[in-house]
Amino acid sequence: MSAAELQVEGLTKYFRAGGTWFDRSRVHAVEDVSFSLRPGTITALVGESGSGKSTVARLLVRLYAPTSGRVLFGGEDLTQVRGRRRTLAYRSQVQMTFQDPFGSLNPAKTVRHHLARPLRIHHVVPHDQIDNRVHELLDRVGLVPPEKIAAKYPHELSGGQRQRVAIARALAVEPSVVVADEPISMLDVSIRIGILNLMVDLKEQHDLAFLYVTHDLASARYVADTVLVMYAGQIVEQGPAEQVLSEPLHPYTELLLASVPDPAAGERDKIEVHKGLAAAAVDPRDGCRFVNRCPIAIDVCSKITPPLVEARRDHSARCHVTAPSPLV
Amino acid sequence: MTQLQTELQQPGPLEPLAAPTSSRRRIKLPSWLTLMLRNPKAQIGLGILFLFVLFAVIAPFVASASSATNFSYATREPPSWHHLFGTTDQGSDVWAGVVFGARRSLATGFFVAVLATALATTLGITSAYVGGFVDDTISLVTSVVFVIPTIPLLIDITAFLHQRGMTTMILVIGCTLWAFEARILRGQALMMKNRDFILAAKVSGESTRRIILGELMPNMISRIAAAFVLVFYIAILVEAGLEFLGLGDSAKSSWGVSLYWATVNSSVLQGEWWSFLFPGLAIGLTVLALTLVLAGIDEVSNPRLRGLPKNRSVLRLLARRHA
Repeated sequence: MSAAELQVEGLTKYFRAGGTWFDRSRVHAVEDVSFSLRPGTITALVGESGSGKSTVARLLVRLYAPTSGRVLFGGEDLTQVRGRRRTLAYRSQVQMTFQDPFGSLNPAKTVRHHLARPLRIHHVVPHDQIDNRVHELLDRVGLVPPEKIAAKYPHELSGGQRQRVAIARALAVEPSVVVADEPISMLDVSIRIGILNLMVDLKEQHDLAFLYVTHDLASARYVADTVLVMYAGQIVEQGPAEQVLSEPLHPYTELLLASVPDPAAGERDKIEVHKGLAAAAVDPRDGCRFVNRCPIAIDVCSKITPPLVEARRDHSARCHVTAPSPLV
Repeated sequence: MTQLQTELQQPGPLEPLAAPTSSRRRIKLPSWLTLMLRNPKAQIGLGILFLFVLFAVIAPFVASASSATNFSYATREPPSWHHLFGTTDQGSDVWAGVVFGARRSLATGFFVAVLATALATTLGITSAYVGGFVDDTISLVTSVVFVIPTIPLLIDITAFLHQRGMTTMILVIGCTLWAFEARILRGQALMMKNRDFILAAKVSGESTRRIILGELMPNMISRIAAAFVLVFYIAILVEAGLEFLGLGDSAKSSWGVSLYWATVNSSVLQGEWWSFLFPGLAIGLTVLALTLVLAGIDEVSNPRLRGLPKNRSVLRLLARRHA
């Protein structure tokens, strides 16, 4: 397993918003997103629905083609990768698990099929050892006894078990990067911790780089080394998990943190939030995208888009107030 | 000591029932098929169909092929023990006509269904999954075939073709009956192609062909089966219709040809009810059987229709439907 780093530089994806020829409006789903995923770390990508976090995930595994920007992996630019063999080579390094464990497994196929196919496609092991490897994978994600589980159909498994199968499928090709798109959001609260611990174990044992996409700050704090906060297609804050979540720079991160119910805190002051339409950046104008909901907005916020400024060590934000840029 | 020995010889506590050693080796019917075999409508439909197929297969043992088409002096005889379904104006045996006709009619229907379903499935699913220009082109062709009225087109084609054998008939009907099913299957595949398991297969590196054949198709199998049955009975009706109009091979025996001769001989006017009733009944029953099978598939694949009442009285069922 090579320990290469996956680097994302200025990744941008626009979708057509209008259905007609004349309607040229575009949704800026992801705009100028840069980060890197290092082996043996979990990076959490946090944001609300529609903030573009799932789009980032899908861009990384080539389900979408980016409008612009680069994804560098092992010195090679993914956006330039052409041809089936090189695409396969990339896919054997970067894998993904999906949000909905009830939708991500084919209802007509057994668990064995789901794990054996990637092994066959990428020639991970010789043919006669595929069964063994399937059992090994199931064992690795904590599904025992593997012989019985392998013969089952998805509808015979619980949500948590399915999510483990999905993770095993991603691991089958021995990738170095795994993009996990909200792996616990559709699971019962009681089994979430099991999946999170599994991610941490895999990270440590196999030196994997995880991109953990979520809207759940508590779980991000629990597993992540680095946190990226996304709002309306842009990364508004990034830094070490502990620091971002305890001393946020961006008012949006503060809003997110304040909206986590905390029974221990008791009665607390209500946070002033201006209601506004979240996300959906259709042909955005210049200026901060959060300005309509921001409690601390100043004049310049609606005129100039704030750049990502490193206000503290390794900790940067897009905010004219808390992380002012010397250039503005 | 002896007591201890007997105790030792006694079998220990029962071991938990061993699971079947290998569930892979067991031949497992798809669940929708087992469900269907339990569905009363499908049971009746398949039962009738089985009888027709049985008679078609054993035709040479229950009737003589020559008496179905050859003329004889025993004309216009009503049903009797000698001629079970009576004889026609030309003196051919109606029973033999119906039994041997079953071969031709069922075979035509079956092969048309195979051809049209194969076309509809391939074109419909490919069009939906690949999208873009391919989708536009296939959809355009589908729409064109869809709006062409089938029977007039077939009359034109068969009138111009010199050869009117079964193969011609199958090709002509098959190539005109796929369009509506292609549309339905395209819609189904469109719904499914953005499901996560398709995307997951793509991420793990499956080729487009494998995704269509290995991932999409197995999930549409009941819908494809329904398409097959639907085209099957429409094909039987269309074929009978064409032959009735005199556009088939009237020297061979088939249900449509029997009806054609019944008209030509104006049997109705002469009160020879047997020469049109029995072939007509055969067509009607086959179509009814296939419709029941279709209803069965529908109930099985649509859980809301499944397991309706426990009392299976047809009248109550109808009353409930219309309430």
